[in-house]
Amino acid sequence: MIKLSPKLSQKFSYALLYIATLLAIVPVITIIFIIVKNGISAISLEFLTSMPKNGMREGGILPAILGTFSIVLCAITIILPVGVCAAIYLNEYAKDNFLTKIIKLSIVNLAGIPSVVYGLFGLGIFVMFFKLGVSIIAGALTLSIMELPVVITTARGALNSVPYSFREASWSLGVSRWQTIRHVVLPNALPGILTGTILTVARISGETAPILFTAAAFYVPHLPHSIFDQVMAMPYHLYIISTQIPNMPKNIIYGTALVLLMVVLTMSCIAMIARIYFKKRRKW
Amino acid sequence: MVNKIEVRDLNCYYNKRCVLESLTINVIQNEILSIIGPANSGKTTFLRTLNRMNDLDATYCRKGEIYLDGEHIFNMNMENLRKRISMLFAMPIPLPMTIYENIVYAPKRLGLITRKSDQDAIVEQALRDASLWDEVKDRLNTSAMKISGGQQQRLCIARILAVNPEVILFDEPCSGLDPISTAKVEESMIELKEKYTIVLVTNNVKQASRVGDKTAFFLMGKLVEIDETDKLFVSPKEKQTENYITGRFG
Repeated sequence: MIKLSPKLSQKFSYALLYIATLLAIVPVITIIFIIVKNGISAISLEFLTSMPKNGMREGGILPAILGTFSIVLCAITIILPVGVCAAIYLNEYAKDNFLTKIIKLSIVNLAGIPSVVYGLFGLGIFVMFFKLGVSIIAGALTLSIMELPVVITTARGALNSVPYSFREASWSLGVSRWQTIRHVVLPNALPGILTGTILTVARISGETAPILFTAAAFYVPHLPHSIFDQVMAMPYHLYIISTQIPNMPKNIIYGTALVLLMVVLTMSCIAMIARIYFKKRRKW
Repeated sequence: MVNKIEVRDLNCYYNKRCVLESLTINVIQNEILSIIGPANSGKTTFLRTLNRMNDLDATYCRKGEIYLDGEHIFNMNMENLRKRISMLFAMPIPLPMTIYENIVYAPKRLGLITRKSDQDAIVEQALRDASLWDEVKDRLNTSAMKISGGQQQRLCIARILAVNPEVILFDEPCSGLDPISTAKVEESMIELKEKYTIVLVTNNVKQASRVGDKTAFFLMGKLVEIDETDKLFVSPKEKQTENYITGRFG
């Protein structure tokens, strides 16, 4: 065993920790740099607002952008109410017995299932069994099932961060449990639930596997009309143009990646700003 | 001398451990009953049993009977019971809203405010009764989290008064307050007994002697002695009581 002097070991461990931090940051910055450098030339108003042309080698990616937005919007309208209600039940009403322990355990474990499994599950249940076909609604339902455990967990965290004493103070005045939740707990948990939701939006806009079999199409010549339409989606579109189409111009591939990246990053930034804003306004 | 609350042979347990043993005690209408005793003597458990705040605790169970005006409280609807028996906690817990909203919060939920025009009057009356009105009348719309601890505790009293209960339980209401705020809270307690019945749990023996009409001494989950405050402090019947009130305990 080599014995280093305290001064040297201090320097050594500092360097080690610093390098570890760099290793975490450098790839992210490199990815963003490469995508921006190669993709920025493709970005134009026309690219964002027109249909693909010439076997997707030219033109824009409007249907993919709209497709992703409609899937995400549809998924969030399902996830948010169900997730918040489940979180309220688990956090405020559920007694701490064997059944709730199982429920909580499975919620945590559901979050660890690979997303392609959810995709296959969605194909079996929503597309085939419920005969929804490959459609926005089938994709949104699949994404909902995948993201619900995460949303429930964040919403529970937000509810839990409201001090228990507020509930007791409210109950002690004869106010019922539901009224307490409605007027004291929920308003104060809302910021946390909201930021969690925005992050969920960011995450599901980039998901490919769950919508692969349930919502996404190789090419659709028109924009989506209803939630039962098959749509193009940005992550899947990116996969197709980078692997399935020969002689695809590089800048369109990178441009698509850049748009997707921007959507996700914007969402994360909004969530971050919202969190700072609500923290400042927090009253206790 | 009407019994407001009658407790018959009450036993309370946490995790099967007995914390209150065969307690039989009466609280007389428009009187202040102060309960003294060292830590772990079951005082707070007794209060929290009176308005059933402990019912949600899975480790807690109880046996025995408690009557409010002859009505068995364990058979009553929980919200109705708490509307009649309100509780003030040891630490001031204002809700995270304005002073004004704190007061109208419960009356609104309970449907006690029929006309919106009554609201201001209810707020003013409650704050006056809790002797807080003069200090906060110009800033009713500031957050209740921003006023001092003593003011917060009186705000909590005002919040209870706005519901107009019959019994108010005070759980060591002055433990976090300075002497002047304490004096103010005690003053309002004495005024309040004209209208309400009060049970006061306190760690401060002097406080019990100042405000209590009757004083009960709890020790290790048992009621050792209960008597008129004057009698209990001058000539306690039990040796343990004497030791405790003269500070020679343990």
